[in-house]
Amino acid sequence: MDVDRNMKAPINQLKLMLPVVLVAVLAIFPIIGTPRVWLLYLFLFFVYLTMANMWNLLAGYSGLTFLGPGALIGLAGYTLVIVTWNDLPFYLGIIGGGIVAAAFAALIAVPTFRMRGIYFAIGTLVVPEALRYVFYLWKPVGGEMQGGGAGYMIKGIGGLSLTEFYWLALAIGIVSIFLMRIILRSKLGLGLAAIHDSDRAAASSGVDVFRLKLYAFVIAAFVTGAAGAIFYIYQGYIAPVSAFNIRWLMICLLATVIGGIGTEEGPIVGTIIVVFLHFLLARYGALSLLIQGVILVVIMLLVPEGIVGLVRRKTRNYQSLLQLATRR
Amino acid sequence: MTVEVLAGLSRPIIMGVLLGGLYALIALGLSIVFGVMKLINVAHGDLMIFGAYFAYALMTTWGIDPILSLTMGIPLWFGLGFAIQKYVMSRAFGISMEAPLIIAFGISLILQSLTQIIWSPYSRGLEAPYALGGISLGITSVPKTYLLSFIAALVVMLVLREFLRRSYLGKAIVAASQDKRGAELVGINTGRVYAFAFAIAMATAAIAGVFFGLTFPFTPTSGVGFLVIAFGVIIIGGLGSMLGTFIGGIVLGLTQTLSGYFLGAAAQMLFVYLIVFVVLAVRPQGMFGR
Repeated sequence: MDVDRNMKAPINQLKLMLPVVLVAVLAIFPIIGTPRVWLLYLFLFFVYLTMANMWNLLAGYSGLTFLGPGALIGLAGYTLVIVTWNDLPFYLGIIGGGIVAAAFAALIAVPTFRMRGIYFAIGTLVVPEALRYVFYLWKPVGGEMQGGGAGYMIKGIGGLSLTEFYWLALAIGIVSIFLMRIILRSKLGLGLAAIHDSDRAAASSGVDVFRLKLYAFVIAAFVTGAAGAIFYIYQGYIAPVSAFNIRWLMICLLATVIGGIGTEEGPIVGTIIVVFLHFLLARYGALSLLIQGVILVVIMLLVPEGIVGLVRRKTRNYQSLLQLATRR
Repeated sequence: MTVEVLAGLSRPIIMGVLLGGLYALIALGLSIVFGVMKLINVAHGDLMIFGAYFAYALMTTWGIDPILSLTMGIPLWFGLGFAIQKYVMSRAFGISMEAPLIIAFGISLILQSLTQIIWSPYSRGLEAPYALGGISLGITSVPKTYLLSFIAALVVMLVLREFLRRSYLGKAIVAASQDKRGAELVGINTGRVYAFAFAIAMATAAIAGVFFGLTFPFTPTSGVGFLVIAFGVIIIGGLGSMLGTFIGGIVLGLTQTLSGYFLGAAAQMLFVYLIVFVVLAVRPQGMFGR
């Protein structure tokens, strides 16, 4: 027993140290003169990772195939506009964006949770489409000349550079990873797992299905909204067409499905691939989309459990073989 | 006073009914796939737009009339649908609940970018000499394209209805949609039936694409918005019923033109989406569904 414990200790320490070192290295990237392009792609990586993580929480763990992340991101972006146009600091815009997205999620939860499976998916697909028209019509700030289809500039971010955007994105990316770890190991995560397997069985064994789904939905909406606001601080400009766009869903869907839906590491692996694809195919707009679509279909058909799921299955086989071999 | 209001209303009402025909035409294929396989084919809108582009290509390169080009479009789309179901979707159904949805999404993505690569993202339109201008319908005059789409929708709906009622394949499709295992027990090859249902749905998408292209200008991404409308149509019309789909289309068409009349053109689409959402929330099985 003692020998065993001694052998395990350094491994645990290493496991703890590795992420800390990794985060520290990532955090000093902008200071040590990393090329701007790298920082930009890392920024996108962390923003997309956050969104994919939260989408995975909904689709992979809570049984909510949510097709409207664009609604949350767009609303958060427009909250940022309203906050910064009223001369309030940008970080209030990020928090406000998260709060508005969370409040909106709570609002649409009541009608959409009545829908099951495919109906929920399509019901939430309608939401960003409808919101886009709301923001064509509604001009929350500014005069007649601004807003509507033309969109808004984000104010009050003149003093910020890519370094600050990068740190914001890094922070929210790490928060999203830890949040997933905490949620999945909590009572909420346990309840969600039961709902994911069968919501009727969960309900009959005393799980408050509506409330747990609502918690997951609101948490995911808050974090997705905050990540969206950070994206728009970097972008500096928002318009209804790009904000309430199906592109956001695609990023979440691709990253999660390629990496492995319903696995904790899946979105991380998937987002790396998605951002790398963006980097490789940046010059070929439509072709990039075509390739992403093909990858999505091929992965879903051949490896529906994603890369992480596949690796896990293979190593499990390998480990059990190893165990068999060493036991002899 | 009331006479004037009614006279003013007659135009949006007639336009709404005709527009509803086009919506129903788009939704018919979606309705068949949804009814038989319980799959929302999110690529349906894009397959329709792809059909419009196909007719556009034939029109610009060889000067073939768009409606005439359907003699090539329908068989091609029929084959495409058969192949998609047989080689891609049938495998997806075995994987998980979400897999067919995600794969349909991937197909939608592929089609959107493909049309963008081939025909550029700019807006295009189909033209035919007989579809230009308006035609008088007694009280008001309407664009000929609206009337053409409405007639096409009526014809396709009636043909499908009779096909599902009378032919062996049609009856088999209905049987498979009502009870898959029951259908298999009485000797229906549901795999084949599914492939045929998807193929028929695609053929209607080709038809819808041509009439859509004659009525409205289109871009590679036009499909998504009309997918949502088509979905609204089948939700209002209820599952599997061709006549219900037709009525659903007219309800949404009227919603759009009447809200445009009362609230201004900018608000009309918002209202359509709102209606779809409310119906979904209140009666997800559809207004006429069981």
